[in-house]
Amino acid sequence: MQKSKLQFKIKNYFFAVSVIFALLLIAVPVFAAEIYFKTDSTTVRPGDPLEVLVSLNTEKEDINAVEGTVLFPDDILKLENINEANSILTFWPEKPRVYDGNKIKFAGITPGGYQEKTGLLFSITFQAKKEGAGIIEIKDSRVLLNDGQGTPTDVKTPNFQFSIFKEAPISKSQILVSKEDKDQPEEFKPEIAQSPEMFEGKYFLVFATQDKGSGIDHYEVCEGSKKKCVIAESPYLLQNQELNQEIFVKAVDKSGNERVVTIPAQKPLPWYKNYFVIAILIIGLIIAGAILRKILWQRFIKSR
Amino acid sequence: MMKNSKIYFLLILVIFGGLTLSLCYIQALEGTVNISAKVEGCGNGIIEGGEQCDADGSNGPCPATCSTSCTTNSCGGGGGGGGGTYIPPLVVTQVIFSGRAYPKSTVTLLKDAQISATTIAGSDANFSITLSGLSGGNYIFSVYSEDNKGIRSSLLTFPVSVTSGATTKVSGIFISPTIAVDKSEVKRGDNIAIFGQSAPQADIVISVSSEEEFFAKTISDKEGIYLHNFDTTVLDYGLHNTKSKASIGNLAVSSFSRVISFKVGTITVLKEKPEISKGDLNNDNKVNLVDFSIAAYWYKRPISAEFAIKEAERLNGDGKVDLVDFSIMAYYWTG
Repeated sequence: MQKSKLQFKIKNYFFAVSVIFALLLIAVPVFAAEIYFKTDSTTVRPGDPLEVLVSLNTEKEDINAVEGTVLFPDDILKLENINEANSILTFWPEKPRVYDGNKIKFAGITPGGYQEKTGLLFSITFQAKKEGAGIIEIKDSRVLLNDGQGTPTDVKTPNFQFSIFKEAPISKSQILVSKEDKDQPEEFKPEIAQSPEMFEGKYFLVFATQDKGSGIDHYEVCEGSKKKCVIAESPYLLQNQELNQEIFVKAVDKSGNERVVTIPAQKPLPWYKNYFVIAILIIGLIIAGAILRKILWQRFIKSR
Repeated sequence: MMKNSKIYFLLILVIFGGLTLSLCYIQALEGTVNISAKVEGCGNGIIEGGEQCDADGSNGPCPATCSTSCTTNSCGGGGGGGGGTYIPPLVVTQVIFSGRAYPKSTVTLLKDAQISATTIAGSDANFSITLSGLSGGNYIFSVYSEDNKGIRSSLLTFPVSVTSGATTKVSGIFISPTIAVDKSEVKRGDNIAIFGQSAPQADIVISVSSEEEFFAKTISDKEGIYLHNFDTTVLDYGLHNTKSKASIGNLAVSSFSRVISFKVGTITVLKEKPEISKGDLNNDNKVNLVDFSIAAYWYKRPISAEFAIKEAERLNGDGKVDLVDFSIMAYYWTG
């Protein structure tokens, strides 16, 4: 009796194992894009920098939009810098910025799509505050296909584990001397636009460029004179809605290199309001008057 | 009398001269209506503040007289006799793109999603674009072309790592065919014309898909134009998608074209006017930074009733602006 029970159990086990193996054999590999962290070292010393590259592996999918939130332990890490230089994302509905002290939200697009394993989204530089261990993770991520419909694809977001201790080997990012960035930001062409749906139909300025060395720090818009500049973001509501003055847009990278683009006045002043035209006319009239006076004076003398 | 006429002449000259100068200036001012931008900085051929020289695209290391940072190069020279001086070749950071589009079509090159160059392909559909004035770094380049009916191809994108001081060649580009259909709805069993443009004498594979995918083959003519009358008997009622790709021999194969859809129903409706351009929010028939900025303005905030109409028509129509809308825009991007 016991023998038959044993045989039954063995048969059952055999059946279960066979089913599992069969399922494994016929299982179709599931591709999922992956947002992952890349770094030189997972161990650092207190006070050392920890540079983490937030990257995308599309897993053969054609991807054109990515968003997510990076969470980091702010009790042991201090955020030093976020850099979008060399990112595959060319436009950012939401530039990576820190919220609530320990969250970095981002959303960006790459027009035309991207299909590679090592697409840099942005890099984050932390400074290790004190000894301890922690994880950096990504939440609320979404990766969309370049299919004209914004279809979401599966996404994997493995955590990044690190530890901070005094005896940690010196990290490569600390050994490497950062390359000096002497290049200006890339050339760009700002545009003046108008839309009834925004800024109450007023004129606004759009601009965007990249900096391959250190990343864009900020933009400045100067209306009328290069001396009247304000730090601005695109889209920028123009103060001078008459569009009768030149506009200068300055892109400044994180190393302080600048590129200035000039947009000529779109609707120049009418001639009678233009001081230069009036000045020419006045000078012409003065000269003409002087000549006329001379002629009349000569006639007067002759007549006497 | 003679003296007086000379004075009169001088007087008239001064008045007319002054007026002409004023008018010319006014005309010059009124003539400036197009939005254009002048790029300032090193490499624009103009010596500006902080620059010792600027030789436009000729800036570079010795023997160029002006460096890439717009300072005068000390190229040695002088000193007589003895051995020769090593003169390194002129180094420029540039990328050369070459490939196939459509005969005599306009090819547009985007650098990081903004238009950086355009060219016209030859009658053999071949094109070449050289882009210089780049920094070393990672770029996303894209190309697209426009056929003889003004239909645009999909964007062909390639990430390129550019090395400073080196020439990078991107060859073998094969822009996907354009595609269109003659009917928005076709009576089941009738033919639907699927047509477009590619390289001359290219093998065109047309895919028509619903639940099942059907393939048809044709060859483009010497103008690159192809046409296939697809028999819809095999298709079920409902919405179907079609796309095409081109190949020449076994070596050059394009990616698939844009996907367009048509309906199989009980009546035939000819396609009349061009479809509303998805992603184009300011009606300029382009999808670029301006459209992105308009969408970004409404990103994650309640949209106005006015914008809701546009959002429904040109984005995904869910009454809000989020990443999905930007993804649609990125697909239809023209720069």
